Amino acid sequence: MTAAAATSGRRSRRALGAGLWPVLPAVIFLLLFFLLPLAENGLQSLYVPDAAGKPVFSLDYYMRLFTDSYYLGVLGRTIWVSLLATIICILIGYPVAFFMVRHAGRWNGVMIFLLVAPLLTSIIMRTFGWNVILARNGVLNSTLLSLGLIERPLRLLQDPSAVIIGLVHVLVPFMVISIAAVLKGIDTRLEEAAELLGASRWRTFREITLPLSLDGIATGAIVVFMLANGSFLTMLLLGGGSVVTLPLLIYQQFLLVQNLGFAAAMGNVLLVLAVISLFLQLRLIRRDGGAS
Amino acid sequence: MTQTTPKAQPAVTSDVPGLRLREVRKSFGSVAALQPTSFDVPAGTLCSLLGPSGCGKTTTLRIVAGFELPDAGQVLIRGEDRTYDPPQRRKLGMVFQNYSLFPHMTVAQNVAFGLRMARVNRAETEARTRRMLDIVHLPQHADRYPHQLSGGQQQRVALARSLVTEPSMLLLDEPLGALDKNLREQMQFEIRQLQREIGITTLLVTHDQEEALTMSDMIVVMDRGRILQAGSPAEVYEHPRNRFVSEFLGTSNIIDCTVMGAERGGLRLRLPGDEGSSGFFVADAPARPVGSTALVAIRPEHLRIVPAMEAGPSEPRATVSGHVFRGATHVFQLKRPGLDRPLMAYRQITGPVGETALAIGAEIGLSWLPGTARLLEDEPMREDAA
Repeated sequence: MTAAAATSGRRSRRALGAGLWPVLPAVIFLLLFFLLPLAENGLQSLYVPDAAGKPVFSLDYYMRLFTDSYYLGVLGRTIWVSLLATIICILIGYPVAFFMVRHAGRWNGVMIFLLVAPLLTSIIMRTFGWNVILARNGVLNSTLLSLGLIERPLRLLQDPSAVIIGLVHVLVPFMVISIAAVLKGIDTRLEEAAELLGASRWRTFREITLPLSLDGIATGAIVVFMLANGSFLTMLLLGGGSVVTLPLLIYQQFLLVQNLGFAAAMGNVLLVLAVISLFLQLRLIRRDGGAS
Repeated sequence: MTQTTPKAQPAVTSDVPGLRLREVRKSFGSVAALQPTSFDVPAGTLCSLLGPSGCGKTTTLRIVAGFELPDAGQVLIRGEDRTYDPPQRRKLGMVFQNYSLFPHMTVAQNVAFGLRMARVNRAETEARTRRMLDIVHLPQHADRYPHQLSGGQQQRVALARSLVTEPSMLLLDEPLGALDKNLREQMQFEIRQLQREIGITTLLVTHDQEEALTMSDMIVVMDRGRILQAGSPAEVYEHPRNRFVSEFLGTSNIIDCTVMGAERGGLRLRLPGDEGSSGFFVADAPARPVGSTALVAIRPEHLRIVPAMEAGPSEPRATVSGHVFRGATHVFQLKRPGLDRPLMAYRQITGPVGETALAIGAEIGLSWLPGTARLLEDEPMREDAA
């Protein structure tokens, strides 16, 4: 009995060991190009050059980030812009997902393709596309002008609204797909049951469909929030410096000021934001009733 | 049942049916799901819609619930035309096949849902919810979530949820399909008892003939969007009108017999391969031409078999070709020249097991009580490929 257990244990251990070999290259790759730089990044952010230029252990970079009003403002703006983009993505994405799941029928595949297609083009292309549309003499302004709706061209580029538009455009598919995946799993008989019990269409949505699709909204929100937090090109090309967020600041510190330590500290703050988001995702999603 | 006085239900008057369908018809695209269908369910009784999948029973139920609108016809619930009312306004209770409990609500919240929608005040809602949970024996599970309950408990919650609003009718959509056999039998009795106590008109959709037979006051057998026969369980079982009903409810031996002649308002028939015998008599059958074929159904439990030497000289003979012991009964398969399918015969076991088994290959004499052989309406037809 014990001998048998021991051999089977040895066998399974050996099987596990054998199974690990194929993933070894990936592990080494991650170790060399992800974990080591991450650790290096962490260390760098903790050593500040003193007057003589000699690095000394210090929390100075972080102190500056969290006390200096300028940096606090950037941090706040980063979160605020991401949050706003997330909320707009929910408002736009939910109806689209709902339509896809409940009414699109055989057009569902087409809709998914249309949703994903923008993601297949490069972000530079998409951003320049928005440039063409939103520019001072761009498509939108000339249309509005010719319709007589405005007298002077609107300043849309180099403006926070352009950043939000660009972010939402890129990120809304993630929201739609997250919500649609969960909506698809909701048994429509639950809604029928609610209606038969006297709930109006709207009440049924509020009491049954919406609560049951919260998981999808939360997943989508966290994905969108994290991606928006880290987005750089949209901020740079559409915001043109009007919206300075952490990624832009990192870019500045890293390439222009060449203060690698400070850039590393900001990178770590961004990383912590992402980790908090992931933690929330794990904790919030799939609570009670998720099982059935 | 004491502190709350629910609205007095309209007195159950026998002349207004609890449910009446008048020429209700429904097609999906070019597929006719339901041919014009009419039937009445007397108030306070339980009626089963029985048939294989795709027979139109679920479509009928969904039309009564208001989830589908009929192409034509009328749905009257307690005498009121509800054909085009939305589900919210029909005041119906329904138990779904998979119970459809709201997974994000506790048992108590599930049960209270209908009351909350009806804006019943909180104290009364709580009292009625608690009372309903008592009735279904789940008072201690009020704060659990559906996924923490067993299938039978979920079933009870669904029942409580559908009855707490005191609906004018109860709809049951294959309510026991997901339960195992023992629990199913127990729930059949429980649901039936509760239904009788409350006196609520109930429409049950099922493909399980046993469920229909044990639970119903009335069975409506459906196939391909049509009603084949409607009547009490005993009536439908004992007097199946045609081959489909006879085979769908229980097991039947269906035999192509030859008409020998009409007598005393019935027919004298002959088994195939039984030329020269005096045949047997089927009462209450309209005359048919001599020599034509007639389909006769005999239930296996009605066939009596005895060893050939004990049998009367006029009894038709057959050979035992198979035997299965099924606990309470012996099941015999019998072969007879002229029959393309073997006959089935059950023999109740009354004494010690093993005593009465007839050996395979033994010759036996067949007989049945007059009145247990039924003439079917079908013209004899060749075995369908389906």
